Amino acid sequence: MSPQRRFVPRPFHLWLVFLAAVAAAGFAGMGYIFTHGLAATNLTDLVPWGLWITIDLSAIAMSAGAFLLCAAVYLLGLKRYQPVARTATFIGLVGYSMAVLTLLLDIGRPDRFWHALVYWNPHSPLWEVTMCVTLYFTVLLLETAPIFGHAAWMQRRFPALARRLGTIHHYAPYLAIVGLGLSMLHQSSLGATYGILKARPIWYRPDLSVLFMVSAMAGGPALTLLISHLAGWLTPHARVDRSLLDRLANFVGWVLVGYLYFRFWDALSMSYTYEPGRTESLRLLTRGGLAFNFWAGEILLGAVIPAVILLVPRLRRHALLQAVALGMVVGGVVAYRWDVNMAGQLVVLTYLPQEIATRYTQYMPSLIEFVTGAGVIAYGALAITLGVRYLHIVDHRQEEAVEAETVSVLAPAD
Amino acid sequence: MVIDQQKCTGCGYCTLACRANNDVPPDISWNRVIEAGKAGDKTVFLSRPCMHCEHAPCVEVCMVGASYHRPDGIVMMDYDKCIGCRYCEVACPYSVRAFNWEAFTGPNPAVPAWGEPEIERRPRGVVEKCSFCSHRIDRGLTLGLKPGVDPSATPACVVACPVGARIFGDLNDPESQVSQVLAAQPAYRLREDLGTSPRVYYLPAREETA
Repeated sequence: MSPQRRFVPRPFHLWLVFLAAVAAAGFAGMGYIFTHGLAATNLTDLVPWGLWITIDLSAIAMSAGAFLLCAAVYLLGLKRYQPVARTATFIGLVGYSMAVLTLLLDIGRPDRFWHALVYWNPHSPLWEVTMCVTLYFTVLLLETAPIFGHAAWMQRRFPALARRLGTIHHYAPYLAIVGLGLSMLHQSSLGATYGILKARPIWYRPDLSVLFMVSAMAGGPALTLLISHLAGWLTPHARVDRSLLDRLANFVGWVLVGYLYFRFWDALSMSYTYEPGRTESLRLLTRGGLAFNFWAGEILLGAVIPAVILLVPRLRRHALLQAVALGMVVGGVVAYRWDVNMAGQLVVLTYLPQEIATRYTQYMPSLIEFVTGAGVIAYGALAITLGVRYLHIVDHRQEEAVEAETVSVLAPAD
Repeated sequence: MVIDQQKCTGCGYCTLACRANNDVPPDISWNRVIEAGKAGDKTVFLSRPCMHCEHAPCVEVCMVGASYHRPDGIVMMDYDKCIGCRYCEVACPYSVRAFNWEAFTGPNPAVPAWGEPEIERRPRGVVEKCSFCSHRIDRGLTLGLKPGVDPSATPACVVACPVGARIFGDLNDPESQVSQVLAAQPAYRLREDLGTSPRVYYLPAREETA
């Protein structure tokens, strides 16, 4: 027993300080944007949607693990994945809060964010997205309530509240149904947000909603699994069952195959005949400024190589290789969101009847866009780190007791 | 509205009148005058206000209904509802919309010393665009004037045009000047292939045969 306990910073503390610093810088930047407006960005009337919308779309896609795994556990009866669903749900909660933060940054009048809930235009895909996201965020709050209820410190300090939160778990199957419906809707209609715009020929196609959905089905679980791997390696507070992660990683591999299938036919159909605007955007993607992003980021590193790794058992069972592949999937989905957003806007619309030549514009995010974007991501990483440490969101051996309480509404109990 | 490219000289008075009347900031144009090729030796200009489309993409996609159709067909902005998401900007095929990236403060260089703008300046963070000077139309109608005939009930750009290249009126009224002109002459609209049905018609410039 030494009289004074000296505080020795460990890598964990340094990591927290680093994230907190980046997040603080981001929030300071956010304050600047709120007071000074969007003139500090490099967004223009030609490219009104940039880095932030990409982060927003990616955060929502990366949260897709939550609805998929909850549906698998509570609707398909695949109960052994329940601990992973728990991780995914928490990541979903954090992901959606990140999306809300970037949206607040992005809209010109953040003080009027509530207008979307009060003034309705059901015709707008963004209205539908807003409604679904709001409702689904509520679902995620309920779904994550038991995680907070089961935290030891919560049970010690507020035993009654903790018990109350824990009982919400009884409704998990119903929440899974609602979550599935809402997620299928808005994950797809985020693609439709672009897909219905006839003014942007590269976007105007029904496939975008399907592709957004399928890519989210790959990226969401991939991030959940990646975080589980990392937590398992880095902290004793996480306990990981490799066989669970392995099977889900295999699933991600199959989703990638489906995704590549859709993308192939989608891209092939666009490559025939000259269509003003669309052909230029496609050229931008495949041969122009976005080509590296497209071929390397989206296709090769983002889908083909990880699909191979995740489908070949010998490669997949190598845990580090599996984690790298999952990280590549996440990167690929982010690259896809960025490319979709940019390809439609960098080609300037023409409305002059005599003008055939298409013009291009440029966009490079400004410093404050990067700083605030990094801040939002750091906030997410911080929340997940704290969740792993204090809420034990990555714990594959804890849940047997809880599992027994749950009634499955759709799948027969085994 | 009908815009006669044969008459238009590209002087830009329409844009200037619009700026003064609607207090449009210097970095935004509700009306653009663009060089659009040649007819013979003559440069042809395309003057572009909001098209006030019958099937307006901006109205369809605005999630709060801040872009809406007035009963008379004008595509209008509710600046108190707009949250500044800029979806309408991305959706508009004619690039008529502009976002207020910063607050417009101080005097407007386009507003002459002897007059003042007829509508309120828009705040930072909302999207703005041409309204066909709906305030002039509405005020004129209450005074019993006829838009398109009486200057004070007619959009400022139409009144200011020194060569009379702009004609304004009710397309539903077969007796109005716009209907008469469109019945008599070939006209076209911008990007008709998109199915937006713009309410701005252009009379194409012709090569003069002397």
